[in-house]
Amino acid sequence: MTTGAEGKAAAPDIQTGITQNKSGPQVWLWTLDNGLRVAYERRAGPGFALDLRIPVGSAHDPAGFQGSAGVLEEWLFKGAGGRSARALQDAFDDLGVRRGGGVGPEATRFGVSGLNADLPGALALLADVLLRPDLPDAELAVLLDLARQDLEGLEDSPPDLLAVQARSVAFDGAAAAPFAGFAHPASGTPEGLAAITPASLREFLTRYGGSGSVLGLVADADPDAVHELMARTFAEWRTGRNDLVTARFLPGLRSHLPFEDGEQTHISLSSPGIAPLHPHWLHWQLAITALSGGSASRLFHAVREERGLAYSVSASPVVLGGQGFLSTYAGSTPARAPETLEVLLAELGRLPQGLTEAEFVRAKTGLTASVVFGAESLRARATSLTRDVAVFGRIRSVADLRGQLAALTLDDVNAFLEGYDPAGQATTVTLGPVAVEETAAAEVNHV
Amino acid sequence: MSESIPATQLHVLPSGLTLLLEPDPAAQTVAAGYFVNTGARDETPAEMGASHFIEHLMFKGSEALSAAQLNERLDDLGGNANAFTSEEATVYHAAALPEYTPALLDTLTQLMRPALRQSDLESERGVILEEIAMYAEQPPVRVIDELRADYWGAHPLGQPVLGTVETVSALTRDALARNHRERYGANQVTLAVVGAFDSASVLAWAEAELGGWPVAAPLPTPQLPAPVHPGTVRVVHDPSLTRVQLALSMPGLPTTHPLREAAVVLADLIGGENGALYWALLDTGLADGADLAHLEYRDIGTFEGGFSCDPDRAQAVLDGFRTVLAGAADLITETAVRRASRKMAVGTLLRAETPHGRLFTLGMEHLAHGYPSPTSELVDRYTRVTADDVREVLRLCPINNITEFPPTVVALGPIETLR
Repeated sequence: MTTGAEGKAAAPDIQTGITQNKSGPQVWLWTLDNGLRVAYERRAGPGFALDLRIPVGSAHDPAGFQGSAGVLEEWLFKGAGGRSARALQDAFDDLGVRRGGGVGPEATRFGVSGLNADLPGALALLADVLLRPDLPDAELAVLLDLARQDLEGLEDSPPDLLAVQARSVAFDGAAAAPFAGFAHPASGTPEGLAAITPASLREFLTRYGGSGSVLGLVADADPDAVHELMARTFAEWRTGRNDLVTARFLPGLRSHLPFEDGEQTHISLSSPGIAPLHPHWLHWQLAITALSGGSASRLFHAVREERGLAYSVSASPVVLGGQGFLSTYAGSTPARAPETLEVLLAELGRLPQGLTEAEFVRAKTGLTASVVFGAESLRARATSLTRDVAVFGRIRSVADLRGQLAALTLDDVNAFLEGYDPAGQATTVTLGPVAVEETAAAEVNHV
Repeated sequence: MSESIPATQLHVLPSGLTLLLEPDPAAQTVAAGYFVNTGARDETPAEMGASHFIEHLMFKGSEALSAAQLNERLDDLGGNANAFTSEEATVYHAAALPEYTPALLDTLTQLMRPALRQSDLESERGVILEEIAMYAEQPPVRVIDELRADYWGAHPLGQPVLGTVETVSALTRDALARNHRERYGANQVTLAVVGAFDSASVLAWAEAELGGWPVAAPLPTPQLPAPVHPGTVRVVHDPSLTRVQLALSMPGLPTTHPLREAAVVLADLIGGENGALYWALLDTGLADGADLAHLEYRDIGTFEGGFSCDPDRAQAVLDGFRTVLAGAADLITETAVRRASRKMAVGTLLRAETPHGRLFTLGMEHLAHGYPSPTSELVDRYTRVTADDVREVLRLCPINNITEFPPTVVALGPIETLR
């Protein structure tokens, strides 16, 4: 049922030895017949964590059926494998496991963590949910209504509303066809929710399958037993669909969404970035760390420390449609927002001039530490195993990443930055009581 | 279910500062935190927000370091430093790779010796006012602030941790420096270190570096006004909102109570992810969120929860919430208690897997109980909870008797009335 060769053969290549960890974690990567890739890291300790990433997210909602991925994920838990919704939840609780996951733009994740002895039981329940869901028609109306409530709740949460608006402005919806793309939240749209039926969701569920899916697992168990368990558990799972939704970025736009009673003006800048498989990926990560990685980073220093303009300011990398984007955010009271926007643009605008030696060293330390911290907890490591395989096509070991970071020089990063201009191509979306431009004009008149 | 746990060493330095060391050679990182036994409840009403303001100013540098230098040093550790202020504790913490242990301890200690410069104070006041504005836009936060004001009355636990625009605007350097001097004395401070480090060298460092920590006179024990918990239902009408946010509160048990874990289990049976509220209100689609938690303070506790729903459903959902509370006794079965307590025990065990995760539990438990509880003991406290324990909590805190002891309720949203 499985193609095991890749696993054992690959292990020596990606074994690592972290300073404090004498033996170093051992990892295996297997591909099952239906395409499901399983990334396993053996680690001594009482617990396990698994993270299953299925490449079906809200961007895959069929145009006109926005909300499908979100509602489906809820529907799956309304009974499975002969258990009612309630009996299913009780069964998870009987194992004492913690569930996580959710629906993102490009994938739906199912996470479970608990004690090692309960891994087989937890996996069996998860397989029931994915392979043997009841999908009762009668429950769907309630789930659609809950999605509608969630959508209306967005209206009361300005930062979340801004995030949705920013994507809908910055990405060309038509390019995603036949998918709905990135312009709507996981909860959908009122029209999309109205169109969803039991039949449309059952059809949508056929996208779920091994193809493109990755299961990351950290546990303390014999690898052959894990391999056999996974093969047996997912033997009947379909292949499914693995489609990449096109994210076509629209640069240089500016838009304001009025929010009358808001206390703050929220500012979002979207800019192009570097794709995960591009040779400059780590250069870009390091530059973002210098821009926004800590309390001495450029944005934190210029916006918050030096000027006291905002409490919340950050820039982070986002991967959509296989490409990288830079997403910058700040929230300021309306009178300060024009200056905040000005400072954000100025900081993005001076990136092409490069980093100083001190900034470079600090960013490298920060990024190296975050690699280690990211692999430290079971759940974080399971998620990074999954992400590595889904986004980079392989497991990146901590030692490997540390080595690559150590090899990076200031000249490398500054040569990359010379050609990187996130300010020039930024699409700016604001949300608040007054458009940022108007406030700026009014202030100029006072002076 | 617990496994061999590294032993915790407790040292009280001559200054009175407590040092907790939990070395774990198998760990990949080291985490350290200063746990200061003071928070928003120690403030006078006029100085609301002082604890949180001080927390922000600590990051503005010491006599030896400017704010920018301190920030650079913190980032040099890997950028994992942060802090938080609660009602009863203020915590400064950071984690780093083991080779940075000396720098981690030195930098965190520089942070604890703030210069409190006037110029830094003004720019940071702006940051805090932005933080207040940010939360003022979040209905779930607004409704909790309103609820706590009603529930606690003049009791200091009713004061918002951030303070108000008025109090934060009025806090002077003198007032902040006095609060810092009085409330950051050695006897109020615990330094906890967890993970991959050598305890002998950290102890030697602490004896050399922290021995001169100023001692503060004990704070007078104020006569606390009794909490009001009036059992009222109040509506904060806000027509700009789309949905109703409701919060409610009832008396619970303090941190030090032997049945504290049983109270957490009771809250989970009612308002956890698989609790009765979920099946009554969310599974039916009446509300898109509903929960109940047990909150503990050093001498007092509450059961606090709430929901969000469509405006025209608010009364039906509140009635449904009350019905669940009234039926709480029927939820307490051996099976349900075992299920909930196992979930808590596993969660407690797995939270301790990283030094940073263990650091918080170790420090906060020590502040609450005065001794460092090992993870195994914390896990056992949950596995030992019986149905009789949970019934005893319900007897002590009759949250099911909604007629005689009605919850205090505040609803925020586009509605006029609620019963």
